[in-house]
Amino acid sequence: MKPITYSRTTANQMRLHVLPTGQFKTYTIAVYIGQPLSEKTVTMNALIPFVLRRGTERFPETKKFREQLDDMYGAGFGFDIYKRGDYQIVQFRMDVIHDQFVPGSGPLLKQSLQFLGEMLTRPVLEDGGFRSRYVEDEKTNLRKRIEAVVNDKIRYAAERCIEEMCKDEPYRLHPLGNIGELEQITPESLYNAYQNWLSTAPIDIYVVGQTTLEEAEEYVKTYFPIKRNANPSYANLPPSIKERPVQTVVERMQVSQGKLNMGLRTKLTYADPQYPALLMYNGILGGYPHSKLFVNVREKASLAYYASSRMDGHKGIITIQSGIEIANYEKAVNIIQQQLEAIRRGDIHDLELEQTKAMIANQLNELQDSAFELIAFDFNSVLSGVQRSVPELIAEVRRIDRETVQSVASQIRLDTIYFLRDQEGE
Amino acid sequence: MQRNVYDSVKETLYYEKLANGLDVYMLPKPGFQKTYATFATRYGSIDNHFQVEGGKEVRVPDGIAHFLEHKMFEEPEGDIFSTFASQGASANAFTSFDRTVYLFSATERIAENLTTLVNFVQNPYFTDANVEKEKGIIAQEIKMYQDHPDWRCYYGLIEAMYREHPVRIDIAGTVSSISQITKETLYECYRTFYHPGNMMLFVVGGVDPEEVFALIRENQEGKHFENQGAVRRFYPQEPPGVAMKKKVVHLPVSLPKCLFGFKETVNGLEGRELLELELGTKLMLEILYGQSSDYYQSLYDEHLISDQFGYDFQCSRDYAFSMIGGETRDPELLLSRVEAQFNEALEKGIGEADFERCKRKRIGAFLRMLNSPEAIANQFSNYQFKGCNLFDILPVYESLTLDRINSRLREHVKWEQFAVSIVTGDSV
Repeated sequence: MKPITYSRTTANQMRLHVLPTGQFKTYTIAVYIGQPLSEKTVTMNALIPFVLRRGTERFPETKKFREQLDDMYGAGFGFDIYKRGDYQIVQFRMDVIHDQFVPGSGPLLKQSLQFLGEMLTRPVLEDGGFRSRYVEDEKTNLRKRIEAVVNDKIRYAAERCIEEMCKDEPYRLHPLGNIGELEQITPESLYNAYQNWLSTAPIDIYVVGQTTLEEAEEYVKTYFPIKRNANPSYANLPPSIKERPVQTVVERMQVSQGKLNMGLRTKLTYADPQYPALLMYNGILGGYPHSKLFVNVREKASLAYYASSRMDGHKGIITIQSGIEIANYEKAVNIIQQQLEAIRRGDIHDLELEQTKAMIANQLNELQDSAFELIAFDFNSVLSGVQRSVPELIAEVRRIDRETVQSVASQIRLDTIYFLRDQEGE
Repeated sequence: MQRNVYDSVKETLYYEKLANGLDVYMLPKPGFQKTYATFATRYGSIDNHFQVEGGKEVRVPDGIAHFLEHKMFEEPEGDIFSTFASQGASANAFTSFDRTVYLFSATERIAENLTTLVNFVQNPYFTDANVEKEKGIIAQEIKMYQDHPDWRCYYGLIEAMYREHPVRIDIAGTVSSISQITKETLYECYRTFYHPGNMMLFVVGGVDPEEVFALIRENQEGKHFENQGAVRRFYPQEPPGVAMKKKVVHLPVSLPKCLFGFKETVNGLEGRELLELELGTKLMLEILYGQSSDYYQSLYDEHLISDQFGYDFQCSRDYAFSMIGGETRDPELLLSRVEAQFNEALEKGIGEADFERCKRKRIGAFLRMLNSPEAIANQFSNYQFKGCNLFDILPVYESLTLDRINSRLREHVKWEQFAVSIVTGDSV
C-alpha cells in the first residue's frame, strides 16, 4: 500500500492541498469555506453558493454557465452546506474525466479550476450587488429547501432533536439558515456579506488526480484572484457538559411511525487524544449491524427496522435514531437506556470489541478508494488542528480496550429524548 | 476463464460459467483497497406467479422476495452480520422489481468474506419463530416508507400507470400481505429462484481474478444442487393506456410533490436493443429536462420547480416508463407547461447542438461512475439480467444518432400513456 502524501502550499492566502495519484479516472476538486455558526450570518452564508451557481461575468445566463459543464464531458459540479462543530461549512466540489479517456477534450483540470474560480470570484453583478433576479430566485429556492426539511420525517426528527438539545448554543442553527432572516436580504447586503466571507473565512482547496502541486498552484493563482490579508485557521472549542436532568420533548404530526431520537453529550472531539475511544464507543453502541442498538432494538425485540447511532466528531455529540410503533415508545426508550448503561458497566464482549475494531478499520481503509472521501478525511485535520493519517487512526483504534471504552462512557451524558408521534392518543 | 478487454475505458472483465450454471464475473481494480462483491438472483417483487417445469403453478403473497432477502441473513448459528463484522466486512442486501442482491465490501480477509457471502445465501434457515419475528421488523420498514412523501409519490405514479403488471405492487408488500408468509412459502420461493443457474456473482476490487475463480469453483463443486427444470414466470397482459390519469395522496409536505411520465410497451425486448432504448430515452430526457435545458430553466424562472427537479427512465423486458418531476407550488400549472413543452418538442424536433452537448454529458457521467466499485457492482447485475452488458454503455452512446433520439421522442410521448402522481398537504 502506498502512503497517501499530500503536497501543500498557500496560494493567494488559501491553503492548497494536492494529492497526485493515478488511481482514479478523474480529477477531483473540493473547496471548503467555513464561518463560525451565528444567527447573524448563517442565512446569508447559506444563500451565497445558491446565487454563485447562477452565472458568471463571462457566462451571465445560467443555461450558458451550465453548458460549460456539459462541454467538459459532463463534469460534476455541486455544493453542500453543513455543520462541523460550531462552524458552518460551504463545500464546492467538482469531478471531471481525465483527458486521456476523452481524446481532444483539452486540459480538463485547467478548465475545471477556471470554472470554479470564476464561479467563486467573478459573479454576475449589477448596481453594486448581485444580479437581483438571481437573488430573488434563489431566496425562493432556499426557502423551499428549508421548509422541505419537514418532508423527510427521519431527517426532521434528527434536526429537531439537535435544535432542542442545543437551544442555547449556535449549534442549534440549521446550516441552511432560517426563513425569517431570508426576507430582509438584498442583492447589496448579500454582496457585502459575500465579499467579507471570501476575504476573511478559512479557505481550503483540494485537488486529487494526475497532477502536481506546481500545476494546481499555477491555476489557483490565476483563477482565484482573491485579495486576502491572512488565511485563518479553524478554532473549535472543546465541549463542556452542563449537568442537567434529561429533557424529553414530544412533538405531534400526521405520521404512521414514531421517530425516537436521543442526543448524548461527550467531552471529546476529533482533536482529543481519546477520540479513537469515542469512535469505539459509538461503534459498539450503534454504528453497525452488530452493534448493541441494532441487535437489541431490532433483532431481539423486533421493535424497529432501523436503530443506530452516529456522531459529529467535531462537536462531540452522539445521536441515536430509530423508527418505532408509537405504542412501543417506553419499551424502546428502556431498551436503549439499558444499552447505554451496559457500556458504562463495561458489559462489552471481546467479540464486540474485535468486531467494532474490524469495522472501523474497514471503513477507514475503504475511504481511500474515493477521492471525495479522502479529501473529507484530510479536512478533519484542518478543522481540528490535529493531524491523523488513516493508518495512525487505525492503529490507535486497535489499541483501545474495554476499560478505555468504559472510561469514555462514564463521561457521556444522555441530554435529550425527542419523540415525533401521531396526533391521536395520550 | 474468458477475458474481455475494454480498451476505451481501460477495464478488463473476467468471466466463467461454472458447471452448476452459476455465472461468475470479476473486474480487477488495481490500486483499490476495497473489494466489493454482489451475489444476485434474477428474482424480485414482480415474480409472484410462477411454475417450475413439471411442478404446480404457484401464487405467492406480495412482498415475499423482499421478506426472503431479510430472512437469508439468519443462520442456525446466529446473525450473519456478526460473522461479516468479525471479518471486517460491511454487508447488505436489496430487493428490486426484478432482482435480489446480497453484497459486502471489505479491505481484508476477502477469501473468507467471499466464502461467507456465497455460503449464507446458499443456506436458507427459516423457522416459524424467526419468520414471525421478522414480520414486526418489516412492518416498521413499510411504515417508514408510508411516511415518506418521495417514495409515496414514486409508487403513486407506477400505480397510476399500471393496471395489471405486478410492478405496481410495493416491493416490501403490505403489513397484511406479509402476515400470510410462512416458512413453507419462503422455502418454495427459495428453491425456485436461488438455484445457481438463476444467479450471478460479481466481484470488483483489488484482488486477483485467478484466486477468486479458484475459490468459487472449489466452493461450488463441494455443494450439490438438484437439476431444476425451467422456471416459467407469469406476468399478466398489461392493457394499453394507464390505470388512472392521476393519483393524489395526502401527507404533510411543505410543497406538493408532482411526478409524471409516459408508460411504454416493450414486448420482451432485451440485450443491446433494450440498452439502446434505455440510453436513448435517458439522453432524450436529458436534452429536454436536464439542468442546462431551456425547459428546465424556464420552469425554474417561473418558480414552478426547484433545483430538486429531475428525471429517470426505467425499463425491463416487459415494462418501461419515464418519471419526471419534483416539488412544485402548482401541479396543474406545471403540468400544463410540460404538456405544451413536449408538444413543442414533438413539432420542432431536437437540434444537433443540444444532442451533441448532452451526449458528452452522459458519456462523462458514465466514465465518472467507473471510479466507484459499488456503483459498478450495483449496476452490473441489473444490466446482465436484462441480457445487456454495462460496458456496452459507452459504444451505445457513441452510436446513438440525432435521428434515433428524435424517433425515440415521437415513440415515447403518447398522451394516452401519460399519468401523474401528486402528494400534497392540502386536503380536498
